[in-house]
Amino acid sequence: MKIRKVIAAVTGLAQEAIGLLSAVLTVMLFFDLLEVQTVFNLPPEFLPLYLLILVLFSLFSIASGVFLIREGRGRT
Amino acid sequence: MDAEKKYGLSSAIIMGLGGAIGFEIFVLLNYAYFDLAGPTMISALLFCGIINLLTMLSYSELSAALPEVGGEYTYTKAAFGGFISFMAGSLRWLASVFGGALAAVVFVEQLGVLFSVFAPSIQYLILANASILIVGLVVILLFLAIRGVEEATTFIVAAFLAIFIIFLAMSLNYSLTPRNIVPAASGGSLMRFFATSAYIFPMFVGMRALVAGAPKIKNPGRNIPAALMLTTVLLTVVYFFVAFVAVGVVDITEVGAGPLLNVAASKIMGDVGAILFAFAGIFASVSSVGTAMTVQSSILGGMSRDGYLPKALLSAHRRFGTRYIAIIASSLFVLFFGTSGAVEFLGYAASFGSLLVFALVNLSLIQLRRKMPRLDRPFKAPFYPLTPLAGIIMSVLLLSIPVVLRDVNAESALLSSLGMVAIVIVTYYLRMVKREVDFKRLRVAVGGVCFGAGATLILLAQVIAPPSLFIFMVLVGLVSIIAGLMNIIVSTRKID
Repeated sequence: MKIRKVIAAVTGLAQEAIGLLSAVLTVMLFFDLLEVQTVFNLPPEFLPLYLLILVLFSLFSIASGVFLIREGRGRT
Repeated sequence: MDAEKKYGLSSAIIMGLGGAIGFEIFVLLNYAYFDLAGPTMISALLFCGIINLLTMLSYSELSAALPEVGGEYTYTKAAFGGFISFMAGSLRWLASVFGGALAAVVFVEQLGVLFSVFAPSIQYLILANASILIVGLVVILLFLAIRGVEEATTFIVAAFLAIFIIFLAMSLNYSLTPRNIVPAASGGSLMRFFATSAYIFPMFVGMRALVAGAPKIKNPGRNIPAALMLTTVLLTVVYFFVAFVAVGVVDITEVGAGPLLNVAASKIMGDVGAILFAFAGIFASVSSVGTAMTVQSSILGGMSRDGYLPKALLSAHRRFGTRYIAIIASSLFVLFFGTSGAVEFLGYAASFGSLLVFALVNLSLIQLRRKMPRLDRPFKAPFYPLTPLAGIIMSVLLLSIPVVLRDVNAESALLSSLGMVAIVIVTYYLRMVKREVDFKRLRVAVGGVCFGAGATLILLAQVIAPPSLFIFMVLVGLVSIIAGLMNIIVSTRKID
């Protein structure tokens, strides 16, 4: 059971990092910080769609990561 | 303020006007006139006044029957309870965040206009350092909000009405160019008319301040409905004539000359007008950012008191007694969106939040008539159920048309709002789901979404990912699949 908890905690942490990275990328895309829209060569008409996908992905990753970290700490 | 002091009808009207007349008129008319609708913006203002009146009838009935602190939050709670009231509170908070951020942007814009009269080089400096100025403004107002500084509503209302009256009186000497203010009967023209109405709608919603102040008003059953009706009519008339004059003196081709109202004031009243309106814009925006912070902290505090949000948001400052954590939390959001400087996006976002709240208030009226038919109602909305139904339909119409029109600002605002609403829903479930089985089901659902997203990402990586991103996308997909499986397996076992 202990190994399982460690795996849950590590996976949870990785997912939290992915979720936060997605959130940062969303903000950067939205405000075109460091001209990321040009860097990724995004067509402006698809920008809202990409933003929506990133927001949802980020949200679910963070939520799922929280559940796994709770499990890793022994709280289910 | 004396806790026992109660206000009469005239004070209630001032309270409503104080909430509604603000920075919005200095900014929202620009995009509406130059980009969306042209002179038909004026009839859109009238249309907004009618929609506002419909919903204010519902507000009147509800505030007279339930004259308690909380406004929309209280009505939806009485009608539907839990989740819907949480949504109403959150949407109201969101609209206030976007409105406060927009006010911060307007502050810099009007500061630029003011200096354009004296020193264009300083105006350039101001506009080039807009983000720094917005940060400075929010930080100063944050400290003032924590200290609990109150503003003088009566003075603000009197000053604004005086400025608008001078503006209208002086326009009598100016030959106005007559324009066609009625939208053409074509589909495209009507769509743009509705999109404009949605965009300028925040000019009216501040009137809710009157409902929030319901417990302070004498004889609420009579005074609140009367004040709401009179405020709506007065506001619509003032906005109509101010916009009529502005559109009459500023041609649509003068798009780069500056904010519509400032340019019109400058043409009619010369430099004095430019300075007067710039000062009014600065004053209104500063006041609105401060009010937005206080309103947001009050909403967060109320939701925290009911257990929807962490209790820390209720913490009072040891010296000033204000909810400083809630104020700081709200200020951060205002700061974040304010520094974006995206005026059109913020205008739509503030409007969408308010329109959704209006729809929920109308729904609450219908629900309460069915659920509590014997509730003491000193005022009843006339033509029930047509009035609340018309309010709901109009709100949904205004919400959807700018997106159907493919206005990129509206699309971004709607998507951002949906993202924030998704966060609100997850927060609600994480805070409020007490039963073990429901929590496990939520975990299975989140796990399922992550599993699906991970698998899709790996498949997409095969098709669209450039070589440099391929391994990264596969790794992210794998982590999502593993996490999803772990959430599903653990929770499914425990549900059984």
